[in-house]
Amino acid sequence: MGKKENKYWRSLGQLNNSPEYRKQLLKEHRTENSDDPNKFSRRNFLSIMGASIALAGLAGCRRPVEKIVPYVRQPEEIIPGVPEYYATTMPLGNSAYGVVVESHEGRPTKIEGNPKHPSSHGATNLFMQAAILNLYDPDRSDSVRFKGDKKKIDDFQKFWKEQLEKFDKNKGEGLVVFSESFSSPTMERLKAEFHKKFPRATWVAYEPINDGNLLAAIKNLTGKSLRPNYYYDKADIIVSLDADFLQTESESLSAAQGFVAGRKISSSDDKMNRLYVVESGYSITGAMADHRMKLKSSEIGGLLWALIEQLKARGININVSKPEIKSDFNSQWLSALVDDLMEAQGKSLIIVGRNQPTIVHELALTVNNALNNLNKTVGFLEDKESILPQKLSMPKLSRADTMVILGGDPVYNTPVSYDFQKILASTKNTIHLSEYYDETSQLCGWHIPRAHFLESWGDARAVDGTLSVIQPLIAPLFNGVSDVEFMSLTNSGESKTGYELVRESWSKIIKGDFEKGWRLTLHDGILRGSASEFTKSNLNIKKYSKPRETLYNVDAATNIEIVFQPSLLYDGRFANNGWLQELPEPITKLVWDNAALISVKTAGKYNLENGDIIKLVISEIEMEIPAWVIPGIADNSIHLPLGYGRKKVGRIADNVGFNTYKLFGGPDKMFFSGAVTLTKTARKYKMANTQDHNRMEGRAIFREASLDEYKKNPEFAREMVEHPPLKSIYHDYDYSEGYQWGMVIDLNACIGCGVCTIACQSENNVPIVGKVQVGKGREMHWMRNDRYFRGDENNPEIVIMPVPCQQCENAPCEEVCPVAATSHDKEGLNTMTYNRCIGTRYCSNNCPYKVRRFNFFNYTKELPEVMKMLQNPYVTVRSRGVMEKCTFCLQRIVRSKRTAKHEGRKVHDGELLTACQQACPTDAIKFGNIIEPESTVARKKSTDRNYELLAELNIRPRNSYLARVRNINEKLKRDTYRNDGH
Amino acid sequence: MNKPAENIALPAEEAPLITGGQTFHSITEKIAGVVERKMPKLWLLAFGAAFSFLLVLLGSIGYLVWEGIGIWGLNNPVGWGWAIINFVWWVGIGHAGTLISAILFLLRQRWRTSINRFAEAMTLFAVLCALIFPGIHVGRIWVAYFLAPVPSQMMVWPNFRSPLLWDVFAVGTYFTASLLFWYTGLIPDLATLRDRAISKIKKILYGIFAMGWRGGNRQWRHYEIAYLILAGISTPLVLSVHSVVSTDFAVSIIPGWHTTIFPPYFVAGAIYSGFAMVMTLSVIARKVFNLENIITINHLEKMNKIMLLTGMMVGYSYATEYFIAWYSGNIYEQFTFINRAFGNYAWAYWIMISCNVLVPQLFWFKKLRRTVPVMFVASILINVGMWFERFVIVVTSLSRDYLPANWGYYAPTLWDILIFAGSFGLFFTLFLLFVRFLPMVSMTEIKGVLPEADPHHGAGGVHE
Repeated sequence: MGKKENKYWRSLGQLNNSPEYRKQLLKEHRTENSDDPNKFSRRNFLSIMGASIALAGLAGCRRPVEKIVPYVRQPEEIIPGVPEYYATTMPLGNSAYGVVVESHEGRPTKIEGNPKHPSSHGATNLFMQAAILNLYDPDRSDSVRFKGDKKKIDDFQKFWKEQLEKFDKNKGEGLVVFSESFSSPTMERLKAEFHKKFPRATWVAYEPINDGNLLAAIKNLTGKSLRPNYYYDKADIIVSLDADFLQTESESLSAAQGFVAGRKISSSDDKMNRLYVVESGYSITGAMADHRMKLKSSEIGGLLWALIEQLKARGININVSKPEIKSDFNSQWLSALVDDLMEAQGKSLIIVGRNQPTIVHELALTVNNALNNLNKTVGFLEDKESILPQKLSMPKLSRADTMVILGGDPVYNTPVSYDFQKILASTKNTIHLSEYYDETSQLCGWHIPRAHFLESWGDARAVDGTLSVIQPLIAPLFNGVSDVEFMSLTNSGESKTGYELVRESWSKIIKGDFEKGWRLTLHDGILRGSASEFTKSNLNIKKYSKPRETLYNVDAATNIEIVFQPSLLYDGRFANNGWLQELPEPITKLVWDNAALISVKTAGKYNLENGDIIKLVISEIEMEIPAWVIPGIADNSIHLPLGYGRKKVGRIADNVGFNTYKLFGGPDKMFFSGAVTLTKTARKYKMANTQDHNRMEGRAIFREASLDEYKKNPEFAREMVEHPPLKSIYHDYDYSEGYQWGMVIDLNACIGCGVCTIACQSENNVPIVGKVQVGKGREMHWMRNDRYFRGDENNPEIVIMPVPCQQCENAPCEEVCPVAATSHDKEGLNTMTYNRCIGTRYCSNNCPYKVRRFNFFNYTKELPEVMKMLQNPYVTVRSRGVMEKCTFCLQRIVRSKRTAKHEGRKVHDGELLTACQQACPTDAIKFGNIIEPESTVARKKSTDRNYELLAELNIRPRNSYLARVRNINEKLKRDTYRNDGH
Repeated sequence: MNKPAENIALPAEEAPLITGGQTFHSITEKIAGVVERKMPKLWLLAFGAAFSFLLVLLGSIGYLVWEGIGIWGLNNPVGWGWAIINFVWWVGIGHAGTLISAILFLLRQRWRTSINRFAEAMTLFAVLCALIFPGIHVGRIWVAYFLAPVPSQMMVWPNFRSPLLWDVFAVGTYFTASLLFWYTGLIPDLATLRDRAISKIKKILYGIFAMGWRGGNRQWRHYEIAYLILAGISTPLVLSVHSVVSTDFAVSIIPGWHTTIFPPYFVAGAIYSGFAMVMTLSVIARKVFNLENIITINHLEKMNKIMLLTGMMVGYSYATEYFIAWYSGNIYEQFTFINRAFGNYAWAYWIMISCNVLVPQLFWFKKLRRTVPVMFVASILINVGMWFERFVIVVTSLSRDYLPANWGYYAPTLWDILIFAGSFGLFFTLFLLFVRFLPMVSMTEIKGVLPEADPHHGAGGVHE
């Protein structure tokens, strides 16, 4: 069955030639039309449209039938060729990210952040950028199934009504709902309805990656169900204990914004925050640290105890006594940190990663309390309307008679000890709502296709309490049913549209004129004034006397520990997303794979090289995975990224990487130590990464200085390279008029997350090429992030620098092209004429930054028909044999210029954003007219930290960088940032 | 005249160029006979092998055009690989022919007569092999005509600043001039073959190409002037073509490419490899077709001396590059050259040094210089070395340039190898057809260097 279905999307020609499929489609078409025309539901609309897409290949107007309200710049009617923008919300676990989606004639093509939404502030994270690709994923399930056979939703409804008769009688005895976590008023309402109707039924929420340990700690100390909110911008000293708050922790987007707000400097007189990171892996947060200490996750609790002891010795009142644990930590490091913390009381922040057990979170809260940080840098907000992940209770689940699984993929991502497969086998009726016909669906009785958030109505509450509506931009492409629709069906057996359900909930939320408020909310993407009040008074941290539980796994440094971490695929739900699969992981630079990440010393101890397959055994469960050495990981710590090694999702996800859930101990036990054995096998596994060489070789590429050095010599960045006067024998072209586009990337703000790469890929129709091609060095990303290590290989620093085309005024690529396919325009852009390119690759050879990308094959030939809807119509899809590269989003420039010309004005500064700039979480990228002295980009370029990469070649790049400044604690003085590259 | 060839001539008098007491008639018999007799079995065997390789070439090119350049091992940063290496290598080999015919002709080096014909043929075929590569290495071969400076509705000219365009003109001109030069030299011999032909078809075909040559005095005078003029035209081309090819690299800004020494260095290298290829072929040809008296050991020794000279010029260039890298103080340049000798392509570098710098040192010894097996092996090694020289220049420089994050490693695929091997198929197919149907040594010119041809020949044409 699975095979037959895949055929559907493989190629249109194939499809059209298959008579039985055509017949089936026509049959569906006919039956739907023979229904009462008045019952022309959205679902009917969808299947008719689905059939017409498949038959005619037309991918045009698929607007949802309900009224939705465009965001800004909207015309009254659609003007062909002019995109519209709609605000909606992307839910992810208990988080909600406000987005603005670009829609071309009814098909969404690009996701941007909603500037009004508190969780995104106009920026995006990786998942938000990449989510649009999931919408058009041809591997998504397109049909209801019962035991593998395709059915109609009506069949399921009939079946479910029968079940409900039973549950109505027995009050839901044996009925279990197994859901993901949500923060949604409508879902919460439906859940309440469910409990009211079936008091004996059980609702379990599960997320393999969650903040359960932290939330439990807050509950233990305050007695209330609260969510934390960190104010990074108000903290002078930030201490992260195993918390990758810039990338993988919850709410990392606003965390990164807050962190960088406290760090951006415009001159050497400015102050900046200082970040201490103690971590076992190597995260981009660790790479941003001013001081980083590598330490096994299982020892971090011990370090916190040692820190508490030192604070107590300085007179801070922390009423806990240290248990008998190891405490021989780097005392110089600790005391320097304590000095800083003592000085910055009320302006410091200690944050603990979700990996750490509840006790460590409790201790950290206690320290934050003792340092007077509560209500200043750490706040708590009431947790409203959220379905939080719970600890799984096996007996409850295994007593189930009927299990409704709402999203998620528990067979894949629950701890192996729960044996979810067995639970499913012993449950009589199992129903799975899922985007893919995946591991869980294939073991369930019923499978219901789930709608993407861009196809569904819903609502969500952000961490700060702000409410927003999820509005669809397109009718479901694959017959999907939204969460709220499905839940309503579960409760009543009747299908209601998501639109009705959400409006029903919101009729109580919106005060005053409902229609007006509703339209305003849809337009803004948020309900104005719905953010929770942040009040100091209602907090009451109890005195903390002694550890409630013993610190587990505080053990010898020589024991091996295993740490699980979310990957670029999050917990695996984005596994079929080619953009995320092909995005180089910021630190490892691996694509299309995960690996056991180990330190140099660990590798030496077990005689391992990159790609050697190792066998890990934990209490008789074993798995094999290749090793990958990352200098700077804690010794004897093995990091296993989650989310890979899927088997039954789709063409992208299946058999990529290794399923580390095999060893997974549960979301509350993200690391464990002691009982792990590691053996090397004789086999090797080939992995693809995008960067082979990790050192700068003494070249002044990524330039940085300590804050002191910067103060002493503000011009340090430019002085790092000496070169003769840059003179050309040719006459310079006059670039002093009109628009002269240029870019500045602030390395002090850039956290190296890689969102720019995905944003560029989405905006510019950049193809994915697959593991084999990346392994050959043929990745197509126009915007890449170069990652360099520096210093001792056992404790290196990492720097990451985004490199787009530098748009040289004296472009070396241009003069060598024999057919003039790449040339300069009068606005200083180095442009590509794809039609003219014959593909000599000379330009790429002569590019000192190697930012040009060549189409070695026809990478878009096999593109499934449905994915063509995703392409940005403003950007040419490149054919085989031509060179392509970053154009500073020329299509956006042209659009803005045209608009400005219509309105008889010049393009305003800040009106025109490149895709990378718009997506950047920390606003590290600035773009604009460099000859307009008041423009942001011109002002940034005139600052002292501004330097141009490889300026000594006299190529005059239009892109420049602002050198990084690290706020080094002078007591921990490291070597100066000489131009030594090591 | 009956002195053994091995005897050393006094500096004043040159050793006889042709040995074995040849007469005008015996020379015609010997050379034209090769074409007129049935080919030896060995020829058929060789032709069969060469033709199979030619088919491999055609098949591989077909697949390349069908599938894309991706079937090769190229990547980012290494945008040029074996195709460009092969191009430069074959063009280099194509240097000896014209050098021997044109420059040595102008310098009155009469010993050239025994080898110039097939050296020129070799040049043509090598340049033909070379020309394949820039054609097929582009991403969109179907629009390669954009390179031609023809007015079109697009109103776009090619970019005259690009060395790749200079290449098109330089190699194109060189091929045309070489072809004309070779053909002009062939005319009297074609007439001889026409006159000796037995079958009607041969008579007609040779007759057409002989262009009515009768051997009259006036014809000879025109012929000699035309030949001299063509030699004059060809001479600067020998120097220009590889200089222009070298600018493909020298004009770029990539460390290891961006070097002013490239033009003379490339020309020396080209002559070096060209002579090595002539050597390889002449050793085989004189053995197979019993031409030891015409292509004598003296000829071979002279070529070895030229290889010794050009080999040392090449070695000197290698050393100069290192000196300049150090002297410039440019860290990128310095890194590139250290990386060549000790980086991940060091093996290629040391193959190059061994073959190109060490091997020709054998020719300091007269005995080795005159030993056929030694020079045969040496000539092959030199061409291996010269191939690796181009590999080192193209690949090491690209694989590690300015930003270490981009560094990569290039390895060829089966298709790279098949296409290179196939180009030998083309070369040898053409060469074997040439020896089958055309006189491989210029009868006319050989006769001209016989003592009898000298008006001052004392013995009045007495033959011993």
